[in-house]
Amino acid sequence: MAFDKMELRDIEVWDGNFAAAQALRQCQIDVVAAYPITPSTPIVEGYAKFLADGYVEGEFVMVESEHAAMSGCIGAAAAGGRVATATSSQGLALMSETLYQASGMRLPIVLNLVNRALAAPLNVNGDHSDMYMVRDSGWIQFDAYNPQEAYDLNFIAFKVAEDHDVRLPAIVNQDGFMTSHTAQGVKTLTDDAAYNFVGEFKPMNDMLDLDHPVTHGVQTEEDWHFEHKARQHRDLMVTVMPKIQAAFDEFEKLSGRKYNIVEEYDMDDADVAVVCMGTSVETAREVATEMRAQGIKAGVVGIRVLRPFPFMEIAEALKDVKAIAALDRSSPNGAAGMLFNEIAGALFNTDTKALLSGYVYGLGGRDLTKAHLRDLYKELQANADAGKVTTQLQQFIGVRGPKLAFL
Amino acid sequence: MANKGWDEFEIGAMLRSFNGPVSDVALTHQEDRDYSENNSFTASVADWRIEKPVFNKDYCIDCQFCWIYCPDISIISRDKKMVGVDMDHCKGCGICVEVCPTNPKSLLMYSEQTDEEEALAAWPSKETGEK
Amino acid sequence: MSEIKKIKNLKEFSTSADRFEGANLLCPGCAHSIIVREVLNATNDDLILSASTGCLEVCTAVYPYTSWDASWIHIGFENGSTAVAGAEAMYKALKTKGRLKQPDREPKFVSFAGDGASYDIGFQWISGCMERGHNMMHIVLDNEVYANTGGQRSSSTPIGSSATTSPAGRISYGEKKNKKDMISIMAAHQIPYAAQVAPNKWKDMVKKIQHGLAVEGPVFINAMSACTTEWKFDPKDTMSISDLATDSLVFPLYEIID
Ligand SMILES: Cc1ncc(C[n+]2csc(CCOP(=O)(O)OP(=O)(O)O)c2C)c(N)n1
Ligand code: SF4
Ligand code: SF4
Ligand code: SF4
Ligand SMILES: [Mg+2]
Repeated sequence: MAFDKMELRDIEVWDGNFAAAQALRQCQIDVVAAYPITPSTPIVEGYAKFLADGYVEGEFVMVESEHAAMSGCIGAAAAGGRVATATSSQGLALMSETLYQASGMRLPIVLNLVNRALAAPLNVNGDHSDMYMVRDSGWIQFDAYNPQEAYDLNFIAFKVAEDHDVRLPAIVNQDGFMTSHTAQGVKTLTDDAAYNFVGEFKPMNDMLDLDHPVTHGVQTEEDWHFEHKARQHRDLMVTVMPKIQAAFDEFEKLSGRKYNIVEEYDMDDADVAVVCMGTSVETAREVATEMRAQGIKAGVVGIRVLRPFPFMEIAEALKDVKAIAALDRSSPNGAAGMLFNEIAGALFNTDTKALLSGYVYGLGGRDLTKAHLRDLYKELQANADAGKVTTQLQQFIGVRGPKLAFL
Repeated sequence: MANKGWDEFEIGAMLRSFNGPVSDVALTHQEDRDYSENNSFTASVADWRIEKPVFNKDYCIDCQFCWIYCPDISIISRDKKMVGVDMDHCKGCGICVEVCPTNPKSLLMYSEQTDEEEALAAWPSKETGEK
Repeated sequence: MSEIKKIKNLKEFSTSADRFEGANLLCPGCAHSIIVREVLNATNDDLILSASTGCLEVCTAVYPYTSWDASWIHIGFENGSTAVAGAEAMYKALKTKGRLKQPDREPKFVSFAGDGASYDIGFQWISGCMERGHNMMHIVLDNEVYANTGGQRSSSTPIGSSATTSPAGRISYGEKKNKKDMISIMAAHQIPYAAQVAPNKWKDMVKKIQHGLAVEGPVFINAMSACTTEWKFDPKDTMSISDLATDSLVFPLYEIID
C-alpha cells in the first residue's frame, strides 16, 4: 500500500469533527462522496487533506449536492467497499430520500451527522431536529456526547454496519459546534489497532464482482414490498443490538473505554432521572451530582443508541425511578416529544409507577444551563413527592416570553 | 417463483442473474448460460400475445433486420443465421414482420391460435404489385 | 484499454450474445429495449449499469425478476447517473488499493435514464457527473415525454406535442416551448464526446456507442426512443416512425467530438 501511517500522541487535542476525520482515515475509507455544510464540513475536508497528504488511499468525490453525495455513496457501497460521508441539517433533509434507499438496499454506509437545527428560520447551531427527522429511515443511529465518543463510535459504527448479519447503514451523531468545534483531549488508537478493530472490508453482493452480476434497487409491489420492509425491521429489532453490544465489549478490551446501549449515571438508587442526548448528558451528569449533595437522588440516562431504540434497556434503567424527565431537543410541532413518546411506550406495560414529563429545550443552539437542570430536578422531586405530575406534561425551557406548557 | 416469506430471500431485495460464477457472459449464448430462477429469461410473456410471428425459412436471406430490431430478444440467430422465434419472450409486436425485406416476407403475423404448419402451407407468394 | 468489438455488418453483429433479457414488462414494440440491446451488444466488455426510475427501470427489475445479465443498480428518479459515478469511484479506489477481484478486467460504466430523469429532475446530477470527469456514459432514452407516469410533458417535449399536462384543446395547440437543447448543454461541460443517436440507424448508433465507450471521460448520448403508448402508434410501426423522425431531420443524428 502506498500511504503513510500517522504517529499520533496517546492523547490529542481534537474537536469532534477532526476526531471523526481521523477515524475515517484510520478506517481507510475507500470512497467519500460529500458536500459541504456547516458544521460538518471539516470532517470531509479532513479526509480530503489526508488523501492529499498521502495518509489514506481512496477516492474523494466532491459532488454537487447532499442528495448526490448519498447517491454516490450508495453506488460506491453497492460496488463493494468502505464508504462514508458527513452532513448536517438542510443537507440531511435534501439527502433524506436516499437514506431510505441506502438502508432498503442494505448498504453499510457510515454517515457522520453533526446535529444542527432545521430551517426555517435558518440556523447553523446545534439541535436534534435533523437526527429526529430520519429516525425511521432504517439507519442505525449512535449518539456521541463529546469528541472522544465521536472518534470511538465511528469505529464501532463501521464494525456493526459492515457485519454480514447486519448490513445496515449507520449514523454517528454529534452536537453541532458544542462537540464538533470544541477541542478536547481525545485518547487515540494507533493506526494499526484502529484498522484491526474495524477489519478489512468484506464485500457482499458487490457489483464489481464481475463474475457474479447482481441487480440492486428493484421494484417491489404489494406482493413483495412488505416482506422486505419487515425483514429490515426484524434485523434492526433482533440482530443489531447484540452486535452493538459485542462491538462495545471488544472496543472496551482494546481501548479500556466502555460504552453502553443506554448510559446510566448514578441510576442505581435514583428517585428522579433525566433522559437526554448529546452534550446535555454531560451537563446533566454534573447537575445530578450537585443535586445529590442537596439530598435529591438524581440520575441521568443518556441514549447511546437511538435506533434501534433501546426499549428494554430503557425500561430496565428506569424501572425503580419515581419521576422522569424526557428532554427533547427538537420541536415536536404538534405532538409530545419523541423521547417522551418512546419512553412512555417502553414503560407503559411495566410495573413502574414512574411519573413522566417532557421538556423541549435548546432549539437552534440555545444553551441548556445548569440552572435549568437544577430547576428541572427540583420539579421532578416535587412530582415524586406529590405522587403526580405537578406541572403540565410538556414544558419548554429556556425560551423567552410567557411560559409555554402543554398537555 | 413462489411467494416466499420474509425470512427466505436475500437481504436488500438483491437479485442474481445467474447461478454460480460467469466469466464471459458477452460471449456465451443463452442456451449455455446457467440462469438463476430470478432471471426474467426463465419467465414467459407468451400470454401477452394476440398475434404471433410465424417464420418461413424458405424465403429468409438472413439479413438479421428482425434480430436487431426485435425489442424482446426473441429472434434467435446463431452463426449469422436466423433460426426461429423465442415464443416465451415474443410479445407479438410485429416489428420483425415490418422490417423483413423479403418478398414474400419470411415472417408474418397470425392469430395466436393459428396452426403453424397450416400457415406455412398457405404462405402468400411473391407480391408483384407496384412497390 | 480493451479492444473494440468488431461489427462489420449486421450479420456479424447478430452473433452477439445479448445481456438484456426478455419477459421484461416493457410494452410490445418499445424502443427502450431496442436501444439497450444495441448499446449492450456494441461491446463485449464487462458492464456496470444503472437506470433511473422510469419505464426502463420499472419494467426490467420487478421483483423477483431481473432482466439484466450485468451488474445493475437503480436508486431513484434523479440519481442513476451518480449511482454509476459512485461505482466508478469505487472501482478506481479498489484498483489503486489492489482489491479488485478481477484486476485484469476493465468494466465500462453506463447509466440509462429517461428524458424526464435527464432533462428535468436529474439534470443537476448529470451535470455534476459530466463536470467531474467520471469515466462513464450517460444515455438518455428520449421519448420526449414522462411515459411511465402516463404522458406528462418534459423539457424534452417538442413544440406542438399534446402531452397530458400541455394538452392540445379547443384553443391550444399543445406544448408551446421548444425542446431543450440538452446536447449543447452537455457539450458545454467540455466532455470528450456527446452524440444523438436513434436505434433505427443501428450502424450509426453502434459506431457512436463504441466511440463513446472507448474515450476516457464522461460521455453523453441522447437516444431517440419511439414510445408506442404515448406517441400513440401501432407497436409494429416503431421502426417506420423512427425512420420518419430521423430521415426528416425532426430528430437529427450528430455528434460533438471534444
Ligand atoms: C422523486 C420522484 N419524483 C417523481 C417520481 C414519479 N415518476 C416516476 S417515473 C416518472 C417519469 C419518467 O419519465 P422519463 O424519465 O422520461 O422516463 P420514461 O418513463 O419516459 O422512460 C415520474 C414522474 C418519482 N419516482 N420520483
Ligand atoms: S413480434 Fe415483436 S417481439 Fe415477437 S419476435 Fe417479432 S419483433 Fe420480436
Ligand atoms: S428479417 Fe426476414 S429475411 Fe431478414 S433474417 Fe429476419 S426473417 Fe430472415
Ligand atoms: S410507455 Fe412507452 S416507453 Fe414506456 S414501456 Fe411503453 S412504449 Fe416503452
Ligand atoms: Mg420519457
